[in-house]
Amino acid sequence: MAIIVEAIKHLFKRPATLRYPFEKEAPPKGFRGRPIWDMHRCVGCGLCSRMCPSGAIEMIGRGHEARIKHYVDRCLFCGQCSESCPRNAIRLMNDFEHASYSRDSMIYEYKRES
Amino acid sequence: MRREDKIVAEIRERLKEKIITVEVPRERRIFAYIKLEALKESIKFLKDMGFKHLSTITGVDMEDGIELIYHLALDGSIELSLRLKVQKDDPRVPTITDIIPGAVLYEREVHDMFGVNFEGHPDLSPLILPEKWPRNIYPLRKKYALERLRNLIFKEEDIE
Amino acid sequence: MSYGSTIKVPFGPQHPALKEPEHFLFKIDGDIIVNVKPRIGYNHRGIEKAFERRTYIQNIYLAERICGICSDAHTTCYVQAIEDLLGVEAPPRARYIRVIVAELERIHSHSLWLGIAAHEIGFDTLFMHLWRDREAVMDILELISGNRVHYAMNTIGGVRRDIVSETIPKVIGSLDFLEKRTKYYMKVLRSEPTVLKRTVDIGVLKPEDAVELCAVGPTLRASGVKNDVRRDDPYAAYDEIPFNIVTDDGCDVFSRILVRCGEILESINMIRYALDHMPSGMLRVRVPMVVKPGEAVSRVEAPRGELIHYVKSNGSTRPERYKVRSPTLANIPALCKMLIGQHVADIPIILAGIDPCFACMDRLVFVDVKTNKKKALDFESFRKIVRKRHELL
Repeated sequence: MAIIVEAIKHLFKRPATLRYPFEKEAPPKGFRGRPIWDMHRCVGCGLCSRMCPSGAIEMIGRGHEARIKHYVDRCLFCGQCSESCPRNAIRLMNDFEHASYSRDSMIYEYKRES
Repeated sequence: MRREDKIVAEIRERLKEKIITVEVPRERRIFAYIKLEALKESIKFLKDMGFKHLSTITGVDMEDGIELIYHLALDGSIELSLRLKVQKDDPRVPTITDIIPGAVLYEREVHDMFGVNFEGHPDLSPLILPEKWPRNIYPLRKKYALERLRNLIFKEEDIE
Repeated sequence: MSYGSTIKVPFGPQHPALKEPEHFLFKIDGDIIVNVKPRIGYNHRGIEKAFERRTYIQNIYLAERICGICSDAHTTCYVQAIEDLLGVEAPPRARYIRVIVAELERIHSHSLWLGIAAHEIGFDTLFMHLWRDREAVMDILELISGNRVHYAMNTIGGVRRDIVSETIPKVIGSLDFLEKRTKYYMKVLRSEPTVLKRTVDIGVLKPEDAVELCAVGPTLRASGVKNDVRRDDPYAAYDEIPFNIVTDDGCDVFSRILVRCGEILESINMIRYALDHMPSGMLRVRVPMVVKPGEAVSRVEAPRGELIHYVKSNGSTRPERYKVRSPTLANIPALCKMLIGQHVADIPIILAGIDPCFACMDRLVFVDVKTNKKKALDFESFRKIVRKRHELL
């Protein structure tokens, strides 16, 4: 019987859920979102691509000319790449809405600009 | 004397020459290597000693045979891994389901993955692999690399 | 009462809402189950084989993805096995953080289960309220680890993130809220006739059967057997944190509910103690990439029971063999035992009782053995049968 009283009380309260696409809650500090590369720090060692558990990072070339392709559709958001990076060139972003209709739009490329 | 050492001494005394090695790598862990024919006898007396809980049975594909490891627990605390080796072609082991009924699914799992026949097991029908899985292909044997298994699955679909 | 003929009822395997699709073939006599045949493997992903192809670091994240609900239990078990092989030990602070995350996970897993059990017996109000309050613990986990489900806290040789002092008051606040709510839900569960009618004396598993069939976790403890890996084979910091093992002698589904509620309260106290007594110091030790040849067995008390991993290394950067045995597999022989002699209408709650989360079944096929006629029943009509039976009671 105790639950009935509780249930009736909730008729007069705000809903517990958010109307998601219209209302959003910001993720907390330290959220593990999409990794981004700071190519001015990157030395092109390829450690992130070798460490990645799901093969989401592809490194084309080595050294300062290296290009990085990040496949978000394969990414686990574990943050191992940013942890392994010897130059702290990888930062985890706060965004979490990566869904898309095409896989091609889920590839991010990074290149050092001179 | 530690509890582990007492148990090791007792196992040595009971199994004598049927035992190959026993070691205690750390607290609460015992690894014993026995001969194949001593399996039922040792499970029986280990159960009487208090190793009533069978955590699982692990199969390992070694170069010279298949290793079966029975992980038994004493009051939930000391984990004894009883190891034995069977030959690779036509591996046969007596079932232990009559001593520990809880082993029924673990034996079926090893049968699926390594092709070990547990003689006397009530029902060795596939547990994990699909019904249409080809006979004599055991996915966790080293011989079947991932590429080979992948080809196998594609072939099956081609037939349909 | 016997109808003289048995009917086979296949159950499962596929439903999008099931975490673990499984198939059960029931033989029923009238309304009573006489025999059960389980058939698993519909969710087999070849993870054990995949372990052999990845490096030790990559395998942490693979182990995490064995299960979404006990993701932390699997990684703890994995890193402990590798630490055992390497001969390193996680620093004290890391061991305390492992306990805190593991217990938060236990709270979240048990409240998820309580919600499902409530849903299974047709008590959806309780289900909604429980799951709303479960968000509190999910939020703390997100705050600590950066993700709601896959915490990725453990690494070989320690943990990856610290619990900083700013988050501690928030954690304590949420724990107080959860404690208040859990106590309230315990009162509801104990007094509500819907719950009592559907769970008391249903799915009885006698202690001797539970031990014989190697049951684990809350299923075993609800049969009155005091068995818990955290006490018997302490890992992380469990040997330094005082706690009680919750057991119940009822042996039925109702005692499984009570045991899990009790464990939530116990976990809350353990986290409070761990936060108070957490030593300062480093979080992780450096470990080599290559593991020397050897083998190790690692055990963890996951929310559903004893979890065991076995690893064999060959001196390279990848393991030679990795074996995982999750608690649900260990409980299936016991589950089959519980189901025999029960009514068809009680199948959902008994299945849910071991926490494999058979949330809802969508279709059953009743096959009459004699005439070989098949009759499909959707979930709604099945529910109607269930309701009718309970109106009669």
